[in-house]
Formats: sequence, structure tokens, C-alpha cells
Amino acid sequence: MSFEYHEPPSVSEAVALAARFGSEARFLAGGTDLIVQINRGKLAPRHVVSLHRVPGLDTIAVDGHVTLGALVTHRALERSPHFQGRYRGLVEGAQVVGGHQVRNVGTVGGNIVNASPAADVVPVLLALDAAVTCLGPEGERTLPLEEFLVGPGQTQRRPEELLTTVRFPLLGPNSATAFLKAGRRKAMEISVVCVAARMTLDAGLERCREARIALGAVAPTTLRARAAEHVLEGEVPRAELLRRAGALAARACQPISDVRASSQFRRLLVETLVPRVLARCLERIREEGR
Amino acid sequence: MRKLPLSLTINGETHELLAEPHHPLLEVLRTQLGLIGTKENCLEGECGVCTVLLDGMAVNSCLLLAAQCQGRRIVTIEGLGGPETLHPLQETFVEHGAVQCGYCIPGMILAAKAYLDQNPEPTEGEIREALSGNLCRCTGYQKILDAVLAAAGVLAPMR
Repeated sequence: MSFEYHEPPSVSEAVALAARFGSEARFLAGGTDLIVQINRGKLAPRHVVSLHRVPGLDTIAVDGHVTLGALVTHRALERSPHFQGRYRGLVEGAQVVGGHQVRNVGTVGGNIVNASPAADVVPVLLALDAAVTCLGPEGERTLPLEEFLVGPGQTQRRPEELLTTVRFPLLGPNSATAFLKAGRRKAMEISVVCVAARMTLDAGLERCREARIALGAVAPTTLRARAAEHVLEGEVPRAELLRRAGALAARACQPISDVRASSQFRRLLVETLVPRVLARCLERIREEGR
Repeated sequence: MRKLPLSLTINGETHELLAEPHHPLLEVLRTQLGLIGTKENCLEGECGVCTVLLDGMAVNSCLLLAAQCQGRRIVTIEGLGGPETLHPLQETFVEHGAVQCGYCIPGMILAAKAYLDQNPEPTEGEIREALSGNLCRCTGYQKILDAVLAAAGVLAPMR
């Protein structure tokens, strides 16, 4: 079960190693998923390429966009002064991932590439219209996060590619995000269901201009609930309409039954949490407008 | 696979050793360096008994390869204080009867240390959240919480 260990000092050398070893190599970021899977015998890479000496992958840049390096930790997201206002949903998603020990090392890039349908930060990134950039021997390519996610544990990343950054547009005024999670206990819990939303209201704070709703742990990948988004856009987001969005979102998902919850219960959770997460966005927009 | 020559700085001391590339820090601490205060249990980052400080942050040493720790500062429970020189956290754990079987305590104390270093005057709720990555099978949480709160009271004025 052992492997050869590599510590490339740059992104290009990391990619070169991956190109050389192909699917026999795995990139190591925080290790909170990879090392567990190796310990359990689920993965047996011949080469482990640690990224911790690669400079520049752990930065959060805010200019025309927000760009997160793949090695930005959950802890860094939680603490970033950039995300305490309109992007608050990102903080809420990051702070329910494991305990402090896991969040201190676990990374955004790892959370995405691990492609768990129950990932907590991914729905928030989907609600923010995030795109991911992968670097391979032939250069860079950028694709929407939604397309990047293919199934449980599966993404469009090729073995020789490194996910380098995640990027999303800046939120304008009258916008907010929020995240809610249902688990069996309050801490250290895999999501039974998690939901993220983003809402932008018009200048009069009356009608919904744009809505995004993303659902976790209810389908093979994190999922946008488009019908629920459409029912909100252009309308006055009254409580009744938020409930309708919840019902549409519940219809859009295909949850499984497992040890954590039945499929039926997961649908009920979606129906309940979606109006709640939307209401939270509205509260936040109105607070900011005051 | 060939072993890796590593230079690790643990509790202020540098150790030169050879380690298997897949060995986590936990394994090296316990079997090669005899630092058995760091405990082993779930090996998947759920329980926190293997918590050590890496450059001052609490991390699970079961999920961290020893090879990743070169050039970084590691502190284990042995580095916090000895029987004659207890750290204030160790003292308050004793005073409050926060130790039952003791297995989770090194991890609890180090997670608390990392947190108090960042937030010297925490609320009770903040301490609960800070220790959410550490399980106690004796369910001695209340006394652990009392001990950490008391330690914060001792440590804050010293900063």
C-alpha cells in the first residue's frame, strides 16, 4: 500500500509529474479525504504528489472576480474578511465541514475534486456561478463547476490535470447568499441534506432579479434547482412563493435512501430548507439596505 | 518503496529519521520517537485523539504524512508541559476533574490550546464549537468545558 512521495516546488512541475504517472498518481492537498481513502484501501496510488510546497495556490484574490486558489482551506474561507457580508453563505458552508482539525487543512480544491454529493462548500459555489480552472500539459481550461461535477467521486478532471483555481463573479448590491444543512447532530456530521441560495433584488428591494438554489446530498452530484429559481425571478418573493420554490426544488431532486435518511425524508427536508434559506437571503439583503 | 530521510522539529527539538512515505506523523511520533502521549483511534479525522499542533494549528496527525511536516513546527502534548511544569490548561483539567479515562485528553488540551491562542476570551459556546472535532467516550464534556473556561481565565491576563 505504500507509494512514492513527491513534493514539486511549482505548478508546472506538479502537472509534469501527473502527466508522467497518469492515473497512478494522486495530488495530495489537505489529505482529509485522500489519506482516509488510502488507509481504508479504497485507493492505492503508486505516486502521491503533495502540493504543499507549490506557492500561490492558497490565495484569495478579489478584483473583478473572486478567485480562490485550490489550496485555500475551509478555515481561510471562514475567516476571510471578504466573505462576512454578501458571501456569508460561503462561510456557513465552510464552517460545518468537520472539526477545526479538518478545516485547518482541508481545501476548497479538494472538496470539489473529491466530488462528494454531500460536499458543503460546493452548493454555495454553484449558487455563486463558480467556474473551475484546470491546468494540464496542454494548457489551461476553464469550465462551469456544474459541468465539472459528473457523479459521486467523479469530475471532468483528467488524471494529468491539476485544479488550480475556482472563480466566481462579484455580487452586486441587493444580493446575499446563505447556506443551511441538516445532519443527525450539530457537529462533525455528513450532510443529510444541504442547501445554498443566492438572491439579488431590484433597486426597490421588491422583486427578485436573480435567484440561485443549489442542493447537496440529494442527487449523484450537487444540483441546481432551476425550476425553483425561475419561479422566483421577476416576482415579489413573498412567503407563499418561497414555499412554492421549495416544493419545486423537492421535485427536482432524486435522493437515495441510506443509513442517514430515507429518500422521502430528504425530499421533505429540501421542501422545508429551501424557503428558509431564501428567507435568510432576503433578511440579509434588507439588513444591508438599511 | 524506499524510506524517506526526514528532519522533523518536534517540541523544539530536531529529529533526523527515516520514514515510510505513507506513514502518517502519528505513526512516526508513537513508534519511532516514543511520543505516545498522542493517541491513535479512528484514523479518519473524526475523533481528534491524535491532535497535534502544526505551526500552531490543531491538526489530526493520523491524516498528515510525516513527509509533509518537514520545516514546520510540531508540538505534541509532551511539549506543552511536564509533571513538574504543568501548562495552565493541564492544571485546570486536573482541578476540575476533567479527566476520566484520559484517552481523549491530549487531543482536547491541544485543540483547546490552539483555540485559546487565537481567541483568549471565548464564550462557552465558542469553546464547544472549537472542541467539536474531539470526542470523549466517557462523555466528560461539561467538566472539560469548565476546565477550558477556567484556563482561559488564567491565561488571558498573562498575554
